[in-house]
Amino acid sequence: MLHFWLHSLSRLAMIIVLLVALSLVSPSFLSLQNLSNIVRQASLLFLLASGLTVVILTAGIDLSIGSVLALSGSVAANFIQQGWIWSGSLIGLVIGAGCGLLNGLMVALVGLPPFIATYGMLWVAEGFAQVFMKGEIISGFPRGFRFLGAGYVTGIPVPILVMIVVLVVSIFFLRRTNFGRHVYIIGANREAARLSGISIRGNLLLVYSLSGLISAFAGLVYVSRINAVESTIGEPLLLPAIAAVCIGGTSLFGGEGGIGGTMVGALIMTLVTNGMNLLNVSPYWQSFVMGAIVVLAVALDQLGSAKMKGA
Amino acid sequence: MSETAWGTWARRVGMAPGAVYALVVLSLTFTLFTTQFLTLRNLTNVGMQGSVLIIVALGMTLIILSQGIDLSLGPVMGLAGVVLALAVKQQVGLPLAIVAAIVVGGCFGLLNGVLIARLGLPPFVVTLGTFGMAQGLALVLTQGSSIPGLGPAVQYFNDGRILGVQVPIIMTAVAFLVVYVILYYTKFGTYVFALGGNQEALALAGVRTRLYKTGVYVLGGGLAGVAALVMTARMNAAHPTVGVGLEFDAIASVILGGTSFERGKGWLGGTIFGALAVSVLRNGLNLIGLSTSWQVSMVGMVIILAIVVDSLRGI
Amino acid sequence: MAEGLVLQLEGISKQFPGVRALDDVSFDLRHGEVHMLVGENGAGKSTLMKVLAGAYGHDAGRIVINGQPADIRNPAQALALGVSVIYQEFNLVPYLSVAQNIFLGREPRHPKIPGLIDHTRMKAEAQALLESLGVDVDPQAMVHDLGVAQQQMVEVAKALSVNAQIVVMDEPTSALTTREIVQLFAAIRRLTTRGVGVIYISHRLEEVFEIGDRITVLRDGKWITTLNVQDATMDGVIQAMVGRAIDRLFPRDFMMEKGEVAVAVHNLHRHGVLQDITMTVRCGEIVGLAGLVGAGRTELARVIFGADPYDEGEVEIFGRTVRGSPTERVAIGVGLLPEDRKREGLALILPLRENVVVASLRRLFPSGIIRRAKEHAVVTDFVKSLDIATPSINRMTKFLSGGTQQKVVLAKWLCTQSRFLIFDEPTRGIDVGAKAEIHQLMNELVKHGAAILMISSELPEVLNMSDRIYVMHKGRITKELSREEANQETILRHAMGVTP
Repeated sequence: MLHFWLHSLSRLAMIIVLLVALSLVSPSFLSLQNLSNIVRQASLLFLLASGLTVVILTAGIDLSIGSVLALSGSVAANFIQQGWIWSGSLIGLVIGAGCGLLNGLMVALVGLPPFIATYGMLWVAEGFAQVFMKGEIISGFPRGFRFLGAGYVTGIPVPILVMIVVLVVSIFFLRRTNFGRHVYIIGANREAARLSGISIRGNLLLVYSLSGLISAFAGLVYVSRINAVESTIGEPLLLPAIAAVCIGGTSLFGGEGGIGGTMVGALIMTLVTNGMNLLNVSPYWQSFVMGAIVVLAVALDQLGSAKMKGA
Repeated sequence: MSETAWGTWARRVGMAPGAVYALVVLSLTFTLFTTQFLTLRNLTNVGMQGSVLIIVALGMTLIILSQGIDLSLGPVMGLAGVVLALAVKQQVGLPLAIVAAIVVGGCFGLLNGVLIARLGLPPFVVTLGTFGMAQGLALVLTQGSSIPGLGPAVQYFNDGRILGVQVPIIMTAVAFLVVYVILYYTKFGTYVFALGGNQEALALAGVRTRLYKTGVYVLGGGLAGVAALVMTARMNAAHPTVGVGLEFDAIASVILGGTSFERGKGWLGGTIFGALAVSVLRNGLNLIGLSTSWQVSMVGMVIILAIVVDSLRGI
Repeated sequence: MAEGLVLQLEGISKQFPGVRALDDVSFDLRHGEVHMLVGENGAGKSTLMKVLAGAYGHDAGRIVINGQPADIRNPAQALALGVSVIYQEFNLVPYLSVAQNIFLGREPRHPKIPGLIDHTRMKAEAQALLESLGVDVDPQAMVHDLGVAQQQMVEVAKALSVNAQIVVMDEPTSALTTREIVQLFAAIRRLTTRGVGVIYISHRLEEVFEIGDRITVLRDGKWITTLNVQDATMDGVIQAMVGRAIDRLFPRDFMMEKGEVAVAVHNLHRHGVLQDITMTVRCGEIVGLAGLVGAGRTELARVIFGADPYDEGEVEIFGRTVRGSPTERVAIGVGLLPEDRKREGLALILPLRENVVVASLRRLFPSGIIRRAKEHAVVTDFVKSLDIATPSINRMTKFLSGGTQQKVVLAKWLCTQSRFLIFDEPTRGIDVGAKAEIHQLMNELVKHGAAILMISSELPEVLNMSDRIYVMHKGRITKELSREEANQETILRHAMGVTP
């Protein structure tokens, strides 16, 4: 328990430090408008990272989330722009789930290491996205769809509401359902899980499919928010998503952490990105910083993980 | 080579990892589909383009043999190329520039090695992070644009010939020889196999495993620097994003070539076949007229398929 | 007296939490002798050797090598002092050659080209070593391609090449054919003629008399006797291994009516591991499965539970032929408490509470949604009824004691309301008090109609608890004994394959 509180306190401290530092840099930082923007941005990152969190909890990884987001978003956008909002969205979700299912098959049935399987999927999905989009941009979506990313409900941006809903639902799923328990124990000790009668294959298939589905959903919200899509929109999202999960306390070794942490991690990552923008750090340096943060986050994870402390 | 080594070599070829089949099948397919494939000019082209991949894949082979992985080799190569070009433009002289490129590659290798071997962090995530770092640095140094026009001294490394053979191919051959000797004739190479096959046995024998584990990544990075020279020469320019995706091809080359992820089993020669297979695939798809976008997914799918098949064949 | 002694272990004691593995054990080894070390499972043989090899520390006593006190804290130091251990799972690199394995870490340098290995010299020296052992193995063959016997020879050659003075061999012949054993013995004799002292751990008493010079018997972590082999007899050795007052830990004061057949195994075959196994366990009985390490008991349990596949034969559970994974087994009411409870029985980084309910989720919460109140009640119930020592049901399982952890595993299966439970070494590493409790729980289960298959290496436990006993040896069931006819010596004989 102590571990959990120390962890939460340190993350909270990070957020406070960042907020203070950024408000010093820019006086208008702490305005409601700006904070609201930040939370909205964080919610987009959070959505993408939430599926990843579940995969990482099983001691796996999904490197394809960015490309799957781009592919499903691109295909969906194509239909949505023509007015087919619901079917277009559905097609996008199906594509995402399908990619996830393929990942799951490679990992659970063939037994490929998750990083290789999903890394391959990264390229395949990316390629298909490129083929589909032919290097073009689709922009300008109907009002109904735009509501998802850019709308407001009683003054609160819709993505934030979506985030809250996803947060609550996923925490419930992970903490209060049989499936959630399965996820944790598969990550904590796969062999013990197997010997307790838990179906490893079935659960992993589900987990990876879910990750693909959520990536697609995040894509819909994202595309709706920026009102445009091109085949490369997924590329810069992978590293921040991984960083968010790690900073949030979910261990790469499995069995530890949760969605709540990922939300905190997403907030921290968004504050960092915002900070860099405020300080006029060039986007090129930002790539470097992203990479460095992932390395740091993983190193911290290693030091703090219960599993690594000789469990 | 002694007689038993030949025997072992022959037996290995007989076991034919996926790469050999792939290479044969792909070559035949493309020969049938287009007349342009089986020309001396095209094949030389494949060899030239493949040289960059082979050099990087050589380093990757050792890394994977030692039970590691390095996803950052692509952007590291790109970064090394950028450093090379900048150094040339700054008039420091070509030799120094080449050294700089190799050192940059080696430094990233050192960073990876220390994080992985000393701190025990999972290789794929660490190198994903250094991927971003290398990419970012390359972009910073070039501000996103290319550095063209590097002059005939650099271009020699693409256009030049020694005894009638193109320089890149010579360089690839030399690189292969050097790595081959390291892997099969030095302590370092022996320990690479041991790191992958039974790290405890190595530790028990009193060897400093962390040192050698780090060294493998340094070697990989250094080789990426060498590859950068060939790549930059070919384009007569340095592009900051040129390396992205190369690591995937390199990993594929290594796996197809018969090196396994988990047991210290592998064959350096196989990597050559693997790299050639990948290069032939890309080349062939190009000749058929498949758009670059299609190529990305096609190559991805073929490679995954090959890895899956190899996996199911029972490593 | 001390001259001629290459090794002296004096008064070695080693304590693990809850268990005294070694109690003031003394042992010595002469140059050029083969000293056999025997005892039942858990007698302390492996522990003693691990102390010598630097894999474990020791709490008391000292190690003297060639008259000099030796401070051995890690395997590298042991190696440096001339101690070479050949474990059952060899320490070889599969994809390197024999020569490379022998000289790992000490590769000869090329005389002319710096940095390169002198392969010719390495090959020649390896060849010489192998020949001196009378072994015909190509030094350039890859270890992966060799058979077990040959790999073992490589290990012996390795020991020779580091000029080991003390070579420990742990069950060296368990995977060898008769002919290969002959070759091994020839190699060992060549070692001893060079003055190397060999400590040979074995369960095969016939080997003691074939190759041993002296024999030391350990029992329950204590030194019992050391004899010259020529003065020893088979019966005498077995007596020494076993001879203890059989104190009934928990007398069985009841006899259950045997109910339906829980598991029936017919002619089960698993290549290289199990041969022609036929056995049954019925509800209302505890069946003990005895045998030495490597006899195949855990393997049989795993096959019955579905954790490992099998090649031929049939496994029927509650009348149904089963073939699949543990998932199916658990669903029809089978549970397995594994030997290695930390690695296979529990998720240590999860709270106790989750480990208890993990196998029963579908039964407790059919809707898929966990109700905390119910979970709390169920787990608290078990904590009370099993007397699980923990400040809270949310405590991370890693922090519980060995005995408590075992109870959590038991709770897990009780929670599933399984009717057939397989216990693999249920009380290993557990203090006496907890042992008795677990035995009582097992009896209660059987009274309520459950069927239990119990694997145990502790003969008193087997004798006390079992209604019937199957003894296994080299993957086969060699004997079935009823409670009345069973005694420690009989079991041990059949376990060692020594039958009159």
